[in-house]
Amino acid sequence: MTNTLFPARMSPRQTAAAPPFASPHGQAGRRAPLAIAALAALVLSGCATFSDDGGFAPVAEAAQKRLGQPAVWARDDATAQALAKERDDLLTRPLDLDTAIRLTLLNHRGLQATYAELGIAEASLVQAGRLPNPRFSFQRVQGGGDTGIERTWGIDFVRVLTMPLASRIEARRFAQVQAQVTQAVVEQATQTRRAWIEAVAAQQRVQILEQTTLATQAASELADGMARAGNFSAMRRTQENLVYADTAARLARAREQATSTREQLARQMGLWGQQLSFTLPARLPDLPRKRPAWPGAEAQAIRERADVRAARAALDATTSDLGLTRVTRFVNVLDAAYRNNSETGRPSEHGYEISLEIPLFDWGSTRVAGAEARYRQSVDRLADTAVAARADARTRRAQTLAAWDIAEHYRTTILPMRQRVSDEWLLRYNGMLASVFDLLGDAREQRDAVLGYIDATAGYWLADAAFRESLGGGEPEGVEASATAAPTNPHQHGGGA
Amino acid sequence: MTSRRRFLRDASLAVMGAAAVERTSLAALPDAATRNDASTARPLAPPNGRPYRPVVTLNGWTLPWRMRNGVKEFHLVAEPVVREIAPGMKANLWGYNGQSPGPTIEVVEGDRVRLYVTNRLPEATSVHWHGQRLPNGMDGVAGLNQRAIAPGRTYVYEFEAKRPGTFMYHPHADEMMQMAMGLMGFWVTHPKDPSFMPVERDYVFLINAYAIDPGSRTPRVNEMTDFNLWTWNSRAFPGIDPLVARQGERVRIRIGNLTMTNHPIHLHGHEFKVTGTDGGWIPPAAQWPEVTTDVAVGQMRAIEFDATEPGDWAFHCHKSHHTMNPMGHDVPTMLGVNQREIATKIARIIPDYMAMGETGASMNGMEMPLPENTLPMMTGTGPHGPIEMGGMFTTLKVRHDLPRDSYRDPGWYRAPRGTVASPWQGSTSALPSTHRQPASAGKTGVKS
Ligand SMILES: [Cu+2]
Repeated sequence: MTNTLFPARMSPRQTAAAPPFASPHGQAGRRAPLAIAALAALVLSGCATFSDDGGFAPVAEAAQKRLGQPAVWARDDATAQALAKERDDLLTRPLDLDTAIRLTLLNHRGLQATYAELGIAEASLVQAGRLPNPRFSFQRVQGGGDTGIERTWGIDFVRVLTMPLASRIEARRFAQVQAQVTQAVVEQATQTRRAWIEAVAAQQRVQILEQTTLATQAASELADGMARAGNFSAMRRTQENLVYADTAARLARAREQATSTREQLARQMGLWGQQLSFTLPARLPDLPRKRPAWPGAEAQAIRERADVRAARAALDATTSDLGLTRVTRFVNVLDAAYRNNSETGRPSEHGYEISLEIPLFDWGSTRVAGAEARYRQSVDRLADTAVAARADARTRRAQTLAAWDIAEHYRTTILPMRQRVSDEWLLRYNGMLASVFDLLGDAREQRDAVLGYIDATAGYWLADAAFRESLGGGEPEGVEASATAAPTNPHQHGGGA
Repeated sequence: MTSRRRFLRDASLAVMGAAAVERTSLAALPDAATRNDASTARPLAPPNGRPYRPVVTLNGWTLPWRMRNGVKEFHLVAEPVVREIAPGMKANLWGYNGQSPGPTIEVVEGDRVRLYVTNRLPEATSVHWHGQRLPNGMDGVAGLNQRAIAPGRTYVYEFEAKRPGTFMYHPHADEMMQMAMGLMGFWVTHPKDPSFMPVERDYVFLINAYAIDPGSRTPRVNEMTDFNLWTWNSRAFPGIDPLVARQGERVRIRIGNLTMTNHPIHLHGHEFKVTGTDGGWIPPAAQWPEVTTDVAVGQMRAIEFDATEPGDWAFHCHKSHHTMNPMGHDVPTMLGVNQREIATKIARIIPDYMAMGETGASMNGMEMPLPENTLPMMTGTGPHGPIEMGGMFTTLKVRHDLPRDSYRDPGWYRAPRGTVASPWQGSTSALPSTHRQPASAGKTGVKS
C-alpha cells in the first residue's frame, strides 16, 4: 500500500468531481468509509450496477435502424429457445433478403459470441465504478523482547482517487465495444447480403440453363432423327450433338456454383443440419424502377461509418483526457466541416494507465505542449479518415449507379430487342425462310442475353451491398429520382471533406 | 382486269426528285406521262401516225407520245419508284415514269423516233435500245457512245425504227446496280404492213428477278444467283394478271429476259411456235412446235399459238424454284423426321413453335404470320384449292364467250361435267392391277 497522497493534475471538471482526500491512517482511518460513500454517491451514481440488457440496447437499436431488422442476444436458454423457434418459423417460407439478414442476426453464433464482448466490457465498467472493499490488517511484531501489535483499517487509496477517471475510461471502452459489436453486426449482415445475392443469381442461372439445355437436347435429338431419315450428314448431326454436350457442361458448372453459393449463404446465416432445406426465391429482386439519386451519401457516410466515428471519438477522447482548454475553437472548425455529424463521445483507447504525479519539478508546460501535438494529430487523423470515407462513398455510389444503368439497359433495351429477334425468327420459320435449328440457335442466344441480364442485376445488388457498407451499413438515404430515368452525373453532389 | 391510266399533265407533280429538273427546261418537251398502278392497262390504240394493232403489257402500260413535225416524241423519266410485287408486298425499285419496268414503247417500222430521257435518279444513267439498228452515238453505252446522263439532266435520243420486231430498253451505266433495281422497259416495233403476221392478242412482258430479304423492301443489288423473287414485269404470282383469249384467237406472247439466268417458259394445253427472236421474225419453214421455250439471258422470244382449248391453262417458268416466292435456301429437309416428342420440348422454350415439314413442304393452305412485306412462299388459291405456287406463274384463260378486245378476267373456268379428275368411286377390285418391281436385295440399311 502506497502512501502517496498527491492528487493527479486534472481538468477543472475532474478536479471538481474528485477532491483530494485526507489520510486514512491512524485516527482518521475510522472516518474514511463515510467520506468514500459520499464520494461514490456523488460521482458514480448509476454507473456502478449492471444494466438490464447488458448494454445491448444501442446495438439492437443500430441494427434496427441500419438493417431494419432486430438483433437479439441470447443470454439465457429461454431466449435461445425462442430464437430457435423464430428461426424455424422463418425457414418455412422462401428466404427473401430481409429474412436472410434477420436470420443472421438471430442465429449466427459468431455474432452471439461477439455480443458476449459486451458482457465482458460491462463487467469491467461496473468494477471500475465500484469502491474497493476496505481492508483490515493486523500486524504483530516481536523483537528485542518487545512485542508490537498494529491494527490498520485500509483501503486501496490510489484506486479510490483514480476511480472517477477509471470509470470514465471504462465507460468509453464499453461504448467502444458497443460500437465494435454494432460494426460486427453490420459486417455480418453485408456478408449475408452478398451471399444471398450470389446464391439467388446462381440458382437463376441454373434455371435458365436447364431450360435451354432442354432446347439443345431437342435439337440434338432432332439431328439424330434427321440423320436417321437421311437428311443430315454425320458432321451436321454431330455438330448439333456437340452443342447439347457443351450446354450440359455449362449446366453442370452452374449447378456447382449454385451449390457452393448456397452453402456460403447457409454459413453466413449460421444454419446447419435440418435447417439447410431452406428455399430461395426464384428471382433476384427487381431493379428500382427509377434511377436512384443519393445526394446525401457523403454526409451519411461521415455520420454513420465506423471508421469516421472511431476517429471522431479518438479526437474527443484526446480532447477531454488531455484537458485542453482551447479545444473548443478547433472542434468548431471540425463541426463546420462535418455539420451533419454532431454525435460525439466514442473512445478509441485499447487500454489505459493512470498515474498520479507530484508537480514538483514540472508544472505541466511540457504536458500541454505534447497534448496539443496529440490533439492536432487526432484532428488530422479524423480529417484524413473523413476524406477517405467520402471518396469511398462517392466511388460506391458511382459504381452502383453504373450497375443500375447497365442492368436497366438490359431490361429495357437488350432483352426486348432479343425478344424481337426471336419473334422475327419465328415469323421466318412460319414462312419456311428459317429452320427449327435457327429457332433453337436463337434460343441459345436468348439464353445468353438472359444470363447477361441476371449478371447485370446481381451486379447491381452487389454494388448496392458495397455501397451500403461504405455508408456504415444502412440503406442509402435518397430522394426519389425525377420521373425520367435519364442518367445524371453521379459526381454532381460530391464535395471535399 | 381493270385498267386505270392516269396521265398527269405536269410531270414534276407525280415523280420524286423533281428538284433537279428545271420546269422551264422541260417546257418544250412532251409530257412525261406517269402511272402509279400495277394492273394491266388496256392496249393503247394509236391516235395518230401509222396504224397497228397495239400490244398488251402484262401488269404494265404503253407510253403515250406526241407527233411533232412527223417525229414520234416520247419522254422517259428514270426515277425511284415503289412497285407492288404482289398484294401485300411493295419494293423500292428504280423505274421509268412511275413504274418498274417502265412503260412499253410502241412504234412502227420506219418511224422517226425522238426520245427524251430525264434522269431523276441519284446517279448517272443512260439508255441502251436493245436490238435496234441505229447510229452508233444513239446506242446508249455510257462512256463508249455518249456521256452518261447526270442526275437532273435530260438527254435526247433520235433514230429511225428500221427493223420490225421485239426489243427492250435498259441502262448501260452502272447497269449491275440499275438493272438489279428494276430499271428496264419493253419496246415493240410493229411492221409497216398491218397484215404481216396478224394476231388478235399480243402480250408482252420482261422476265426479271430480285433479291429482297424477307422483311425488307429494297433489293440486294450485289446478289448474283440467290434471288428470291422471280417476277414477270416485276410482279410475282398471285400478282401477275392472267392472259385471256377468246377461243380460236391467234395469240402472241413476247418475252424478254433481263435476269442473270435462263427461263424455260412453259404453256399448258397448247403447242406454240417461236416466231420471233431479237434478230427478227423467223421464216415459217424454220419454226418448230414447242410447249416450252428457253429464253436465255438477254434474249427476246415471240411465241404464237391458236387458243383453241377453253379452260384455265397454267403458264409458267419450268424451274420449280422460279415458281416460288421467298424461301429459306438453307432450311434442311425435314421429310420423314418425326418431330412430335421434340416439338413439345421445343415449345417449352418457343411457345408458338409448331413442327412442320415431316411429310412435305406444303402448308395445305394454312396461313401463318410472316415477316412484314414478305410474300408467302406458296400462295394463290384456285377453284379446287391452294395452287401453291408463286413467282413466275400465271394462267392463260381461254373462253369461247369472251368479247373481242376484252381483257377482263373471266373468273375461274367452269369445266363441263365429267371433265375434271375426280376420286375413284368404284371398288378396288375393278382397278387395273399394279405391278411392282421386286425389292432390291442390296444392303440398304441406314445406320442411325
Ligand atoms: Cu425461271
